Amino acid sequence: MRDLSQIFGRSPFETLTEHARKVHQCVALIHPIADAIIAGNSDRLKELQHEMSKTEYEADLLKDQIRQHLPHRYFLPVGREDVARFLAQMDTIADYAEDFAVVATFRTIKLPADLHADFMALVEKVANVSESLLNVAEHVAELQKEAFVGAEADDVLAKIQDVCHMEWESDKLSRRFARKYYTSQALDPVEVLLLEKLCQALGGIADHAENVGKNLRLMITRK
Amino acid sequence: MLTPTVLFVLALAAGLYMAWNIGANDVANAMGTSVGSGALSFRRAIILAGIFEFCGAFFVGSNVAETIQGGIVSPRALAPRRASVVKTPSPPGGGRAAASAAAAAPAGAEIRAAELREPGREAMRKTAMKLALGMLAALLAAAVWLNIATFFGQPVSTTHTIIGAVIGFAIVDTGLASVNWWAMGKIVGSWIISPLAGGIVAYILYRCIRRFVLRSPQPIHMAERAVPLGFGAVVLIITLSILYKGLPRLRLDLPLLTALPLALTAGLVAAVTARTVIYRRMRSRPPPGQRYDVVERWFGRIQPVTACYMAFAHGANDVANAVGPLAGVLELVSGGEPAARAVMPAWLLALGGAAIVVGLATYGHKVIEAVGKKITEITPSRGFSAEFATASTVLVCSKLGLPISTTFVLVGAVMGVGVARGFGAIDLRVIRRILTSWVITIPVAAILSALIYCVLGAIEG
Repeated sequence: MRDLSQIFGRSPFETLTEHARKVHQCVALIHPIADAIIAGNSDRLKELQHEMSKTEYEADLLKDQIRQHLPHRYFLPVGREDVARFLAQMDTIADYAEDFAVVATFRTIKLPADLHADFMALVEKVANVSESLLNVAEHVAELQKEAFVGAEADDVLAKIQDVCHMEWESDKLSRRFARKYYTSQALDPVEVLLLEKLCQALGGIADHAENVGKNLRLMITRK
Repeated sequence: MLTPTVLFVLALAAGLYMAWNIGANDVANAMGTSVGSGALSFRRAIILAGIFEFCGAFFVGSNVAETIQGGIVSPRALAPRRASVVKTPSPPGGGRAAASAAAAAPAGAEIRAAELREPGREAMRKTAMKLALGMLAALLAAAVWLNIATFFGQPVSTTHTIIGAVIGFAIVDTGLASVNWWAMGKIVGSWIISPLAGGIVAYILYRCIRRFVLRSPQPIHMAERAVPLGFGAVVLIITLSILYKGLPRLRLDLPLLTALPLALTAGLVAAVTARTVIYRRMRSRPPPGQRYDVVERWFGRIQPVTACYMAFAHGANDVANAVGPLAGVLELVSGGEPAARAVMPAWLLALGGAAIVVGLATYGHKVIEAVGKKITEITPSRGFSAEFATASTVLVCSKLGLPISTTFVLVGAVMGVGVARGFGAIDLRVIRRILTSWVITIPVAAILSALIYCVLGAIEG
């Protein structure tokens, strides 16, 4: 009967992956922003901040779309709260990425050359955390098709472990960088403050990426 | 004045229309997933559905048809009130037929009994006429309501409609007592239990597939075992349902002890054959990356089998909606005494089955197309669980003579797979809509049929 085709609501999983891609697009922008910070190119920073805000807005649209189609009346294979939390954490990642872009436009920072490598290493690592998270999120829709069991599920669980490990590494890099800029004589206090804020944003991205991973792990292992 | 022949022709037209409707709308239940997943082409789906709907209707359809014809409203209950004037000590519940009242009259009142015999025959004819009018009214009411509901896009079940309509005319004719409330209670109970049963069976099946196939370290190897097992089970159940207490005319009414070994043998042969075929085809092992797809492909191989199983079960249960009332009218034409227990003529079942086939051949493809494209959510392993559970539940109910809604059971089974984390999202609003239409259908069909019955009664005079 025709009603049978209506019984299947919109599965949120495909859109979740799409949202994750958008969020990663935001995070991927931190790399060119960091380059522009080092180059001291404020026009380029403004331009990038503009692009970031646009991408973040698009991610928000996707997020709202999922939330709108996730009323109580849907009957999902994972907890409704799990989906909502997944989404909220993802959203926070995009917010932190935007923070990073905005803070970078406040004032040009003359980053001493000996700090460049550390800064770029941290940015690189955070971008990698986000990329490996996207790698996990790409499989969410696939996982649902396989009923959250089997080789694929084990594979995703291993990838989540990778995300957590990389977050820990990024934390270490962040601490090392902080020790350097706090002790640097070449920076004035306002610049230190700004660097602190930038690092906070980067740390936020990595932290929440880890949270998303943990959240997904809970979704998968709920038996 | 409505002569019996006119009545019969009218009822035949209405009954065939119902059967056409059943074929046109419900066939997508069975074939939608197979066509949607590409396991079957339209043409093949229609041909297979036709064959299996007809077989189900012909071989297993009689039980439910007899329930609708004589199980809910007993022809005796419709006998004229005059009979009750003759005071005989009778157990409560239901009216008495004039004939039996006359026969049961005290031995001393032989003359009175003789007087009553002639009116008794007249009363019998009247009873048959009433039953015929009522069943015609029920068929017409059901046809009207189905069309109205479809027009407004409401999901309604033919089964619920026809049962409501049958009660409707009986109540308006002789009051609440003419309905066999015990049988009615059983039917309504089965309407609640059957979707639950379908859901539970589907849940267990899908959990088993997940546990033993999908999660196993060698899912393909396990699928090779599970798929022939499923195939064997389908063949076993269909064979058993045909042989065990089947059509007496065709000597298919074997006792369980004879039917079960035969069915087991058939199932075993089917399973072994399927396994051999699979091994022959599985020489080249696919790379481990696509294991999941391969597993689903294996379940896809038996998707047409479960689809045929569904068609069979559907034919077995739903042909009664058209043929059951028709048989009531037929009794009048044949001039026979309304029997206490209805016996369904085989040719009527064949006719109903044929009309269903015509329905799915002429219109079914449109519905299949509409449904098949939308239910891509149902992958073969999920489809197998839901369809196997539905068909088994419906077939058991058919054998028990319980008219149930195939769609309800299917929805229950889909929910069952959903509870086992099978689907991305299930819209519970649809469930509520179906429940609402179920609750509305019965009184509306009853009232419609009562109205039509009154009109027909007025014409008849």
